[in-house]
Amino acid sequence: MSAPQTRARTARAVPRRAGDQHRLLRITDRIAIPVGGRSLVVGSVIALLSLFLSLATLAWGDLGVGPGDLLDAARGAADTKVTFVLERLRGPRVLVAIGVGLALGLSGALFQSVTRNPLGSPDVIGLGAGAGAGATMTTLLWNGAIPTPLGAVAGAGVAIAVVHWSTGLGFASPARVIVTGIGVAAMATALTQYVVAVALRDSAEGLAAYLVGSLGTRTMQQAAIIWISLSVLVPAVGVLTHRLRLMDLGDELAEALGGRATHTRTWAIVLAVLLSAAAVAVAGPIAFVALTAPHIARRVTRAPGPNLAVAALTGALIMVAADFLAQHLPVLEGMPVGIITAGVGGVYLGYLLVQEWRKASV
Amino acid sequence: MSEPESEPVTGSVNGSVSQPSLRAERVTVGYGTHVVLSDLSLTLPRGRFTAVIGPNGCGKSTLVRTFARTLLPRSGEVLLDGVPLGRWKPKRIAQRVALLPQSPVVPDGVTVRSLVARGRHPYHSALRQWVPGDQEAIDVSMAATGVTDLAHESLTELSGGQRQRAWIAMVLAQDTDYVLLDEPTSFLDLAHQIDVLHLCQDIRDRGRTVVAVLHDLNQAARYADHVVVMREGQVAASGMPSDVITADLVRDVFSLECEIGPDPQAGTPMVVPLARS
Repeated sequence: MSAPQTRARTARAVPRRAGDQHRLLRITDRIAIPVGGRSLVVGSVIALLSLFLSLATLAWGDLGVGPGDLLDAARGAADTKVTFVLERLRGPRVLVAIGVGLALGLSGALFQSVTRNPLGSPDVIGLGAGAGAGATMTTLLWNGAIPTPLGAVAGAGVAIAVVHWSTGLGFASPARVIVTGIGVAAMATALTQYVVAVALRDSAEGLAAYLVGSLGTRTMQQAAIIWISLSVLVPAVGVLTHRLRLMDLGDELAEALGGRATHTRTWAIVLAVLLSAAAVAVAGPIAFVALTAPHIARRVTRAPGPNLAVAALTGALIMVAADFLAQHLPVLEGMPVGIITAGVGGVYLGYLLVQEWRKASV
Repeated sequence: MSEPESEPVTGSVNGSVSQPSLRAERVTVGYGTHVVLSDLSLTLPRGRFTAVIGPNGCGKSTLVRTFARTLLPRSGEVLLDGVPLGRWKPKRIAQRVALLPQSPVVPDGVTVRSLVARGRHPYHSALRQWVPGDQEAIDVSMAATGVTDLAHESLTELSGGQRQRAWIAMVLAQDTDYVLLDEPTSFLDLAHQIDVLHLCQDIRDRGRTVVAVLHDLNQAARYADHVVVMREGQVAASGMPSDVITADLVRDVFSLECEIGPDPQAGTPMVVPLARS
């Protein structure tokens, strides 16, 4: 947003607020995008950590595929064991983890930006619960006539449609969206519990893992779904980014600056819902990533505004870390990744909130 | 994502037509079933400092919002350079008309400089979020409002008066012909109110058209060149303060019995309420 800073000015700035300083990423005269200096460093660190953890996840243990094996595979010279692990076992899982993390982090950042509410997230407005209800009904009531992921996406869609319709104003009023969403989420959860209670216990057990979100037995097909979704949705978010920066000024001022607040909010929510739905379709309703990632991003970059890129990368890091633990920590082995994200993300979010409160009360 | 919109056909868009103008023509504006402005026509005098005054609920804020197209009229039109606002792209309007709402949301953790920089949004696009004029517009606006030294302060940590200067710097950075301020002096103490009014005069002296919704008649009469008096969604009177502000008008519009005397400093009309009988 801000014009380029001279070196002297940057040096004079109060370091605590360094997140507010922007440098300019310029490619010819037509493209000029301000990038927070600190955000760039933090984003790179998070991306490298994610990459490192992904490689570690692949390399760990008896079935490990080390960097050398990866290079062989890239040249098409890997043995059958390596190929099997990469294409069937760990490869899809890592790809899905990164993709889902990016999608959820971005989705949460979009929600929090346009609802101006730090608790705004696709989970809060009933998307996860709707997906759960959809998955439950397709699996237990209609006994697999419709694939579970499709049921989940349909359930998420119905939940969002109900929210959109019940507020009376579509997505225009953030407060109404959140309050209605909480109600819809509660109803969807009740529906899930009802169906599980009346259905056979056997089939309910298999579903349990899906309902908290899981990366077990992922396929390359699912990896393709999430990455293709990202390749379409991320550029669309990119078009909105500069208008999203105005949203924290309030609708009227955003409008007066030519930012088209209502239009921006509607599109941001649509894109956030699609990102979450794509994540739900391949990994089930994974809790806490969409809510936590933007908070962590804001905290580590110290920059105001949506911090979309860093939030997305943070989401990926949380997912990869959770998957690493799920696969390689004996205590957690086989546990659905959603439980771990709730643990890892939830604990860190709690820590951040306590820190904020302490700081505020001093 | 953004539907195509027709470019305005005339106006200073191509730098061809001479005089910028902003006027409302028979606009009716309302919320729900409640009509706030009815069939109102008004031309904002160019290069002046206009004060919009009137009793509570008469539609002053609605009027400035309608001029900035943050509210859409139900019927009638606001014309910028003779072209209805509906035919302008939102960003093109924002390059010509700036509006500071009455109580804008204070963003978390934003510094003064980055707030002022947001005023440049109308000149940016998704890929080009910086243009050559940005730096200068931001520096000049901060200097004009005296917030240069506060550039790296967080907005939330400023006093009310400093914060208002920062907001005004933001709308100045928009570099518009028209600067509309919705109650810029409310919530400020008297010294800061006068400070903002002097700032409005400075902005006018730099060639901009300033329109401010004010509550204090005496301040309006003393600092503005032109007053628009509103009553029940219509313009009751407009013109030079010395012509417009009379005991009869104050009785009609504000239901207040008063005597009008000269302001001891400037000689402008000063409203002195009559003692209770």
